[in-house]
Amino acid sequence: MRVTQVRWTVDGGIPNSVCCITLETLIFRDVMRRLSIFCSLILLNTLEAAPVDFVKEVRPIFESHCYDCHGEDKQKSGLRLDVKSAALTGGDNHSPDIVPGKAGASPLIQFLTTEIKDERMPPKGERLSAAEIDTLTRWVNEGANWPDGIDLVTLEDTSDHWSFKPLTVQPGDHSIDSLIDAKLRESGLSRSPEADRRTWLRRVTFDLIGLPPTPEEIASFQKDASPNAYAKVVDHLLASPRYGERWAQHWLDVVRYADTHGFEVNTERAYAWPYRDYVIKAFNANTPWDQFIREQIAGDAFGKAEATGFLVTAAALLPGQIGKDAESKRLARQDELGEIVINTGEAFLGLSIGCARCHNHKFDPIPARDYYSMQAFFAGVRYGDRPVENPEVDAIVAGIQKHLQPLDRELGTYVIPAGGDVSRASVSAKANIEKLQPIKATGIRFTIKATISDNLREPFIDELEVLNANGINVALDATVIAKGSKKEMINDGVYGNESCWRSDAKGGGVVQLAFASPETIQQINWGRDRTGKYPDRLASDYLIEAEVAPGKWQQVSDSSNRAAFDPKLAREALYQLPDLQPAHHARARELIAARAPFIKELAQYGGGKQIVFAVQSILPEPMHLLNRGDPEQPKGEVEPASLSFLKPVALPKDSADLDRRKALAEWIVDPENPLTARVVVNRIWQWHFGTGLVATANDFGNLGVEPSHPELLDWLAAKFIESGWSVKDLHRRIVLSATYRQGHTIHAAGLEKDADSRLLWRFPARRIESEVIRDSILAVSGQLDLKMYGRGYSMFNSRGGTGGFKPIESHQKPEGRRRMIYAYKVRMEQEAVFGAFDCPDAGQSAPTRGQSTTPIQALNLFNSQFTVDLAAEFAKRIESETSDKVEEQIKRVWAIALGREPTPIEVTEVTTFVSTEGLPALCRVIFNSSEFLFLP
Amino acid sequence: MNEAENLSPHGQHLLGRRSFLSNNATALSSIALSSLLGSDNALAASGKPKIDPKNPFAPRQSHHEAKAKNVVVIFCAGAVSQLETWDYKPELIKQDGKPLAGGPAVTFQGPAGNLARPQYAFRQRGQTGKWVSDMIPHLAELTDDFAFVHSLTSESNTHGPAENFLSTGFAQDGFPSVGAWLSYALGSENSDLPAFVSLLDPRGIPQASVNNWGAGFLPAEFQGTSFNAKNPIRHLTPPATISKTSDQAASSFLQRMNARHLEKNPQDGNLAARIASYELAARMQLSVPEISDLSSEPDHILKLYGADDESNPTKAGYAKNCILARRLLEKGVRFVQLFNGAYASGGRLNWDGHSKLKEQYDGHAEIMDQPTAALIKDLKQRGLLEDTLVVWCTEFGRMPMFQKGAQGRDHNPDGFTCWMTGAGVKPGVSHGRTDDLGRKAIEDVHPLYDFNATILHLLGIDHERLTYFHNGIERRLTNVEGHVIKEILA
Repeated sequence: MRVTQVRWTVDGGIPNSVCCITLETLIFRDVMRRLSIFCSLILLNTLEAAPVDFVKEVRPIFESHCYDCHGEDKQKSGLRLDVKSAALTGGDNHSPDIVPGKAGASPLIQFLTTEIKDERMPPKGERLSAAEIDTLTRWVNEGANWPDGIDLVTLEDTSDHWSFKPLTVQPGDHSIDSLIDAKLRESGLSRSPEADRRTWLRRVTFDLIGLPPTPEEIASFQKDASPNAYAKVVDHLLASPRYGERWAQHWLDVVRYADTHGFEVNTERAYAWPYRDYVIKAFNANTPWDQFIREQIAGDAFGKAEATGFLVTAAALLPGQIGKDAESKRLARQDELGEIVINTGEAFLGLSIGCARCHNHKFDPIPARDYYSMQAFFAGVRYGDRPVENPEVDAIVAGIQKHLQPLDRELGTYVIPAGGDVSRASVSAKANIEKLQPIKATGIRFTIKATISDNLREPFIDELEVLNANGINVALDATVIAKGSKKEMINDGVYGNESCWRSDAKGGGVVQLAFASPETIQQINWGRDRTGKYPDRLASDYLIEAEVAPGKWQQVSDSSNRAAFDPKLAREALYQLPDLQPAHHARARELIAARAPFIKELAQYGGGKQIVFAVQSILPEPMHLLNRGDPEQPKGEVEPASLSFLKPVALPKDSADLDRRKALAEWIVDPENPLTARVVVNRIWQWHFGTGLVATANDFGNLGVEPSHPELLDWLAAKFIESGWSVKDLHRRIVLSATYRQGHTIHAAGLEKDADSRLLWRFPARRIESEVIRDSILAVSGQLDLKMYGRGYSMFNSRGGTGGFKPIESHQKPEGRRRMIYAYKVRMEQEAVFGAFDCPDAGQSAPTRGQSTTPIQALNLFNSQFTVDLAAEFAKRIESETSDKVEEQIKRVWAIALGREPTPIEVTEVTTFVSTEGLPALCRVIFNSSEFLFLP
Repeated sequence: MNEAENLSPHGQHLLGRRSFLSNNATALSSIALSSLLGSDNALAASGKPKIDPKNPFAPRQSHHEAKAKNVVVIFCAGAVSQLETWDYKPELIKQDGKPLAGGPAVTFQGPAGNLARPQYAFRQRGQTGKWVSDMIPHLAELTDDFAFVHSLTSESNTHGPAENFLSTGFAQDGFPSVGAWLSYALGSENSDLPAFVSLLDPRGIPQASVNNWGAGFLPAEFQGTSFNAKNPIRHLTPPATISKTSDQAASSFLQRMNARHLEKNPQDGNLAARIASYELAARMQLSVPEISDLSSEPDHILKLYGADDESNPTKAGYAKNCILARRLLEKGVRFVQLFNGAYASGGRLNWDGHSKLKEQYDGHAEIMDQPTAALIKDLKQRGLLEDTLVVWCTEFGRMPMFQKGAQGRDHNPDGFTCWMTGAGVKPGVSHGRTDDLGRKAIEDVHPLYDFNATILHLLGIDHERLTYFHNGIERRLTNVEGHVIKEILA
């Protein structure tokens, strides 16, 4: 179905995806109430009159009173009264404004007649006369007869837009170069001569892997006389793991990836990084783009749950930041879902669907109903940590466990028994051990009688582990019986506040485990947050019983011999000295020390499993169309359905979560979807050339910029689909083209006709990005650590919280010399040196990066400890690779950093400089030089 | 001013007039052309400023005649209670201890308690007889000059999003702040200092942190530079291991290298801009320490602000920031954001008085009152108030009830007070009204959009025309909302 949608242009302002609910709606209800009497009086007076003629009687009234604000130039509140379809559809707030046959129910009439001055239309100027109101009232009551074809203005059909139409490929042989040249010819321009090999190599290496070529790579390429020398370089670069690290960053910009939750508390999102790693791996593996999309929307259907991190990349309020009142909670849920719709629309379709949250999209054919139907695809999505199957991690964890088990077993024998006469340590929020007399049982029951802090809150238990005689945790397979929420998370093998059982009673609660089969149990481990972040809600008085026969419970432990709670004594992990018999402390110390490195490693995996912040799949909630986006004003329930102006897909309201997301993914990657391939091809083009064929990479709608080369865009998109959505094929096609291989020299003719080189008469040289600068400085200094994946290294003194993020000299720590994509990304906080180089803040999607040039950049790059330290390292490297002849050193600096020989003048000048200021000073200058920092 | 003057001799030579005058194409060339011709009227013509990449802070004309050239925003983080300060509610005194009829059972933080009277005595002040509390005696003296808006509303009842909303017009993270919008629109009158400076409270950063002075998706150069009297700009000088002479030698050698590179790539505006940026950086290295050095301030000024108060270092620290604010405004810095209060801390470090409001406000008021009042008096006595708009704001207000079992008030985004004074502001006005208990705005209700629209208006900017295209939308500070509050304009 194709829906023809009215094109509105808005009074000065432009619509917005984050528009808001005003008081207007509330006032309107009041108006309705007060007006009903008045309107019915009018009706009585007008029963006998003759039928109203729209053109002769109604339109003149509109013209003289309404068109200033609701006509061709302005459409306040989205209402226009000069075009039939638009007028009968109505405005943003009260549509339909005209209810044929019912003047009393028509906001149009109500706003003309209200006695409330602030609400009366027109707001300025003369009121309508009684006769005019009478005419309009009769007209509406007679059915608002508005003849077709008499409007003086025609509307643009917003679905009649290039990007919503199928790809069109002209017959004939095409290439990037033929299509670029054709446009250049039209402007009387031509491509620049081919760049020299050195320039191309530097360009393509920065471009594909985000690092400069080494002198050896340059030499070998310059020597290579084979006809496929260029192709070999490209294959080599695309096969490098560095490629995925470079290109993943582009995608992370679009999806606003960060390692913190954002907003005021900005706490750590501890398991965001598996999604970042997923993206790196997907690029390296050349995952077909359609599959990349499927996995990010419904990866849990393909054993790639970490990919669904995509859906939850946005900033999110934590439960504690959301108001306790129900309205705040409903709004927070809508915001959370809204971010998913926005991200999906922008990233894959290049559409600002979010604009239709509060009103019909003003420029694109997306009614508000479509927004909520799209949202319904995600009705079963919750933000949160989840374990994922990951054989690599399982193997790592098994390896660690193998080392840990003997240590744990021995330590276990020294633990002070539960419930006996010997006093043992106080409870700890992080970890507690209950050493039992071995007992055969079919289950256990944990009864909390009191918590620390005077029972003010409901207790939580994070991971209740029950070890049998072999040290195996039999709780993992047990059935949980408990009141409260998230009971399934008490034995899911995942640690942390997000993954624990929450009692529903203040200061108490009972949780029961029924084992799969009878077990002889000898130890129970439990805590409140095993990651140690949350010290509250901790059980202090409790009782543990074992079910020794059906319905027969026997006490096996309690808190009676625990010392009084002392927060200062909180233990760091299981098996700490306070748990152990003092006679064995000497031996225990050795064992604890041996255990520590394994525990630290294990902590990365949330207690033994790979965790990822991604989709938690829940039973889909009913989704409603919301009046003006207000969760307090739900209208009809909506089914999951894709955008109605494109070939839509719809599902029943009772569809399961995964079915919904899979269906949406298939709709997006359908080769007939006119947007998907165009959008990605354009992004990749943009990341190579700086500007896309469509300059607005996230907006292919009516407000977006028209493509500079529509034929090329469609041809590339068609080839892309034909290649099996292969991103690496597309890279090859682009970087081996003559268009990409041309020089970058500026000339007057080009400047005059096309200063920005949109037509590509030269390669648009530009500054390299913040990550590329940092990585490259480390690389040329011989200091880049190529360790891949895992938790990010920190560039601040904190990983989250309200106290702010104080920058640290990250490069002075060994892990801080890894590539910047592995830096812990704090949302909304700029890294102290490189953030100023237009590094996106992960607040909103960043489809393109700025190219600003600021004094703060200059200060950071010239004066930071990073630059000074790395300049010293670079100098050391040069000294170790050369003799102490200054000229030789200079040549080596030039070769490594700039990839060329210095000119004789440079040698002379630099020699003088180095002889007085030293080699590190030269290296500091080189890191700041435009030549080093520009993609040639 | 001819923009080429900001370039080095190399830059001027290579980026000479002729090459640009021959261009008539898009973006860079036309920008350079218009600036070289001195016809820097771009903002007035299209609504949007055109930014010359090599001099992004060049002063630009406003849409209409500006009443104010500069702004100082006193940003009280944590939500100052309107009921203890500016919004006098005698009825609340009468109903002290009674439940609020029809009021919410649960508010932001939990169960609501009973109505609680203002915790300070109110009395009438000045010619206008404005009722102001004893909590802020110094500011109270000045209220004849203030224009109050008592009927503001916020979109969020959570500090971070609400501070975002106040500073950027959006509750979400990632939108440009009002200061960034203004420096994007108007550039700066001072070529040696940043156009937009954020002075952080000595106690720490506000809850929405950098969102309050971020550039969002605007070009990065328009973000606020944050420092204060205690902490200078990071990386303003090299590490101590590098001597001054060696630093200067490196600096001139770099400029030489970059100039030579520009020679090889003639007419590349981005390369010229890099040279210019290092030159501005060098000027900032001189001007920022100079402006931050308060030792030239006479004793009576230190005393006026309370900067000499040794018994209260936080107050003295904030007072020094106030003096610094004045010094920056004197030098033509466009937008100074002056924070009073820090992050969430149970009301200890900011105005978030949930549990011990009176006790905490005694301390906060002591810090805020005298220095802020002194800043206004000092601006006035130097004639700076004629060109400077002073804004006092907070992200939302507080409830007329105490929270159950506590001696403090919960968040209330439905009606609160901010005020302005100085250039273009009508003195002695109280606009808008909350109900008799101060729970909700009921008369002339203004979402914060209107407040921001008014600030832009006073700076000569039409909030509907100052836009920036991002992700499919021409974004503005006021979203799709905003009406200038005409009633408080002079």
